[in-house]
Amino acid sequence: MSLIKNDLINYVQTELSADESVAGDTELFSSGMLDSVSMVGLISYVEDKGGVHIQPGDVTLDNFDTIDAILEYVTRLG
Amino acid sequence: MAEEFDRNMWRMLADNLPARAGKIAAIDRNHQVSYAELAAAAGQVADWLQSRGIRPGDRVIVHLGKGIDEVAAMFGAWKMGAVVVNVNIRWTAAQLAYVARDCRARAVIAPKKALSALTGDNALPEGTAFLVQGKAEGLVQGADPWTACPADSGSAPDESDPQGLAMIIYTSGSTGAPKGVMLSHRNIRIGAISVADYLRLDESDRLLSVLPYSFDAGLNQLTTMLLMGGTIVHQPLTMPAEIVRMARAERVTGIAGVPPLWNQIVRLLLDSPTDLPDLRRITNTGGKIPPNILEVLPQVFPGTDIYLMYGLTESFRSTYLPPEKFAAKMGAIGRQVPHAQVFAIKHGVGIAGPGEQGELVHAGPLVSMGYWEKPEITAERIHPCPELAHLLGDAPVVHSGDLVRVDEDGDLWFVSRMDDMIKTLGFRLSPTEVEDVISQSGLVTDVVAYGVEDPDLGQAVHVAVTYLPQADESALAMHCVRSMAHYMRPRYFHAWDGAMPRTASGKLDRPSIIAAAKSAASAQV
Repeated sequence: MSLIKNDLINYVQTELSADESVAGDTELFSSGMLDSVSMVGLISYVEDKGGVHIQPGDVTLDNFDTIDAILEYVTRLG
Repeated sequence: MAEEFDRNMWRMLADNLPARAGKIAAIDRNHQVSYAELAAAAGQVADWLQSRGIRPGDRVIVHLGKGIDEVAAMFGAWKMGAVVVNVNIRWTAAQLAYVARDCRARAVIAPKKALSALTGDNALPEGTAFLVQGKAEGLVQGADPWTACPADSGSAPDESDPQGLAMIIYTSGSTGAPKGVMLSHRNIRIGAISVADYLRLDESDRLLSVLPYSFDAGLNQLTTMLLMGGTIVHQPLTMPAEIVRMARAERVTGIAGVPPLWNQIVRLLLDSPTDLPDLRRITNTGGKIPPNILEVLPQVFPGTDIYLMYGLTESFRSTYLPPEKFAAKMGAIGRQVPHAQVFAIKHGVGIAGPGEQGELVHAGPLVSMGYWEKPEITAERIHPCPELAHLLGDAPVVHSGDLVRVDEDGDLWFVSRMDDMIKTLGFRLSPTEVEDVISQSGLVTDVVAYGVEDPDLGQAVHVAVTYLPQADESALAMHCVRSMAHYMRPRYFHAWDGAMPRTASGKLDRPSIIAAAKSAASAQV
């Protein structure tokens, strides 16, 4: 797997232009920082870099609200 | 009382008291309020506005994420007679500042983050009152923390004239800057009465609110529930799995969506079917759902009424297709909603008959008060219709700019917009708005923005650009990320070789540029 935490943080901050600093435990969606348009981009980035296929039912707050949660989820998919 | 047209917006909430004082009016993820608590929360905001010298008729900006606070802020402004201007929380500081100046807002209610961004070019005039939602540390100067407001004083409400201005909804115009559609108390109330009627809503209903309250169709979920004494369930996240989870957990009886949202929800439910035993109806507005998604709606929502609807902010809600006709007329927008008068007009000829096409026009009590301080544009859009003079005299008629087809039963089918507006993610976006920001980059000479049908976005924003030497797509894309709200950003940049073709009068020849860019893009795929 080549989904690296710093790259993911970098992607969220630059490509998705999150306007506050992002850490591993920063709430991205429940805080309103990112919206559904960002989600579309984020999913394809994670699928691409992580070499995984994300089922629509897995796109939940539990799996996607923080950088740490995304990394954990991708690790579980293996 | 619920059927009475001439009552102001505060009454829509207050009429539930005392009978439903203890009933749950609104639900957030971690919080819920009764009707009495909601009225008290609104009263607290009304008191603050009065303490800051805001007077009836003044404009108050509400710029909050979806939730109980947002509802309390709107009804607080209505209680003391102010005009609500709800600016979508996704809009940028520049857009917020534009709206605040355009309507000369006297107060802004927003989270700290949004208020902090109102500096420099986006600073608002001195004397504007600010109420800060949530954390208030490092408060913007002169702003009041909401958490420090005293409890509701129970002051008497303003007796606002139901015919008067209640709300301004800003939408993208075809010529650049957003413009404000003025809605009276009566417009909004009759809209709620009409929708509650055809959706068969009552006080046992619990509608899910996903669409923003800054959008007329989203506002309707709230107003119909308050009108009928039901419960509104807030879902600020547009993740399909979270929407379905909340609908099930909160025993939601209705979900209102727009095509891109239905697209995602349907794909989720096909993948993992979920039983929603309390769901009675789903509704769509804001564009056409793609046919492949329409076909599977009855399968993923068994036993649920499916309503396809059509409306414009300028006339609130216009048509709906009764669910009984869904199977036979998938994709039609049906006929006029209760209390509206909707026709298809062949200009210079008359009313379009079966098999014919015409512009959808709308008359009656849902017709808005026009655009804020823009009488010329109002007159272009809302004026008497000569083809209907024999029925309506010189009553104001909204001309939608949408082309519709009339079928053999008199039901309407959407054909296309008569101009170039881009509908993306439930937003109406003017190509000019996108072109202006791109032009400001200093990286291009010519630019044309246009919409391309997209299953996820409704329409995707594409642009054709002629780059200056040394400029390229990555630099321009970075400029767009910095300067545009998410929904405005182009998904595809078509590099045009050399200057773009002009018309005889020297304007860019948009139709031929768009056609060439589209065909080049599809040839690449």
